[in-house]
Amino acid sequence: MSADAPAARVKLFFREAIARALREEMTRDERIILLGQDVGDFGGSYKEFVGLKAAFGRTRVRDMPVAEAAMVGLGVGAAAAGLRPLVSITYMDFLMLGLDPLVNYAAKARFKTGGQLTVPLVVKTTAGAKGQGVAHSQCVEAWLMSVPGLTVVAPSTAADAYGLLKSALRAPGPVLFVDHKRLFPTAGEVPADEVLVPFGQAAVRRAGEHVTIASHGYMVRVALEAADRLAGQGVSCEVIDLRSLAPLDLDTVAASAGRTGALLTLEEGQLTCGVGAEVAFRVRERYDTVKLARVGALPAPVSSNPVLEAACLPDAARVVAAVRRLLKS
Amino acid sequence: MFYALTVPGGVEEVEEVRVLEWHGQVGRVFAPGELVVELETHKALVEVRAGQAGVLRRILCAEGDWQAVGQPVALLSDSPEDPLPETADGLAALAVEFEVS
Repeated sequence: MSADAPAARVKLFFREAIARALREEMTRDERIILLGQDVGDFGGSYKEFVGLKAAFGRTRVRDMPVAEAAMVGLGVGAAAAGLRPLVSITYMDFLMLGLDPLVNYAAKARFKTGGQLTVPLVVKTTAGAKGQGVAHSQCVEAWLMSVPGLTVVAPSTAADAYGLLKSALRAPGPVLFVDHKRLFPTAGEVPADEVLVPFGQAAVRRAGEHVTIASHGYMVRVALEAADRLAGQGVSCEVIDLRSLAPLDLDTVAASAGRTGALLTLEEGQLTCGVGAEVAFRVRERYDTVKLARVGALPAPVSSNPVLEAACLPDAARVVAAVRRLLKS
Repeated sequence: MFYALTVPGGVEEVEEVRVLEWHGQVGRVFAPGELVVELETHKALVEVRAGQAGVLRRILCAEGDWQAVGQPVALLSDSPEDPLPETADGLAALAVEFEVS
């Protein structure tokens, strides 16, 4: 929900929204290059880079070896030297190998040099569980939203994937762009004209009166499904899509929770030191009577067994139960 | 008799597709096995072939249009003279073969 939505919209698969953002920005700015595994002829693990190598050539769209620390390190150096790299890390689990250059160099460069050096790097990665087991399923964005100097965004719609990625490719500092495996089968309406989604602006996906549910990424869809079910039980939920975790749009969440009197946070990652812990505490600082609850993954690795995977992760039924408990408390 | 050509179910994760290309215009007679339409999913192409003979009578979803799994994209009939029905509701599904690539 951008502030002034243009009338004309076009329906795109989630992957196409990403490709379109890159295509437009790479056309506009020749400093943008794409580095990652299978980003070239293969077109990306989710086909989100299809056509870019043909359009922009092998100098700007470069396949990389399976060496994430080197990929992010190259990206940081190239960004500091004047390019605008997007480094694609296939799964978020693999980003752990690239955290040193991202956290210790990219995010700190502007502070260390008194603003003389910026690192306009985008790291795009895909989080979330979808049948791939303990080390290919994680959502660790909460680890990274605490890094000073690092912007963290997590779209839940094709339109926001497009608009946030365009903003990321113009941002002065490093941006972590987190999408989700289960968003790739989705499609959505995207503005036909160029529109950027600014960082630090949450979106109200559904207006409601009794409880606020704040979430991000794929879990926003789960929140909306739960809100649908709860509406049938007479409970009106306001669903807020954070979209941007750092900076966090606390004003939108707090205003909503202050009005409904109850806040449920929902994330696919762990609850301990999670996104919800941060959001809930900061809302409580403003409104000390707001009732709070958090829903997230159980404290266990995500199994490759589909029954255990589902048992570990939040779903609409769990959210419905948590909202009912919260409102009774 | 009329048949609805519907978006085949059973393609992994797919709820909605986009029509990529029709292989023939209204009036074309399709023999069993002939390619009728190509559909695009989030990561694959689905080639839909006629599983029975039929005449393409009306295209409901043009190239670029979206349709949900199980919903009709075209009407076909046994004979070119059969009068067109008002809607696709209640029509038998055309037998199809499809291949995902």
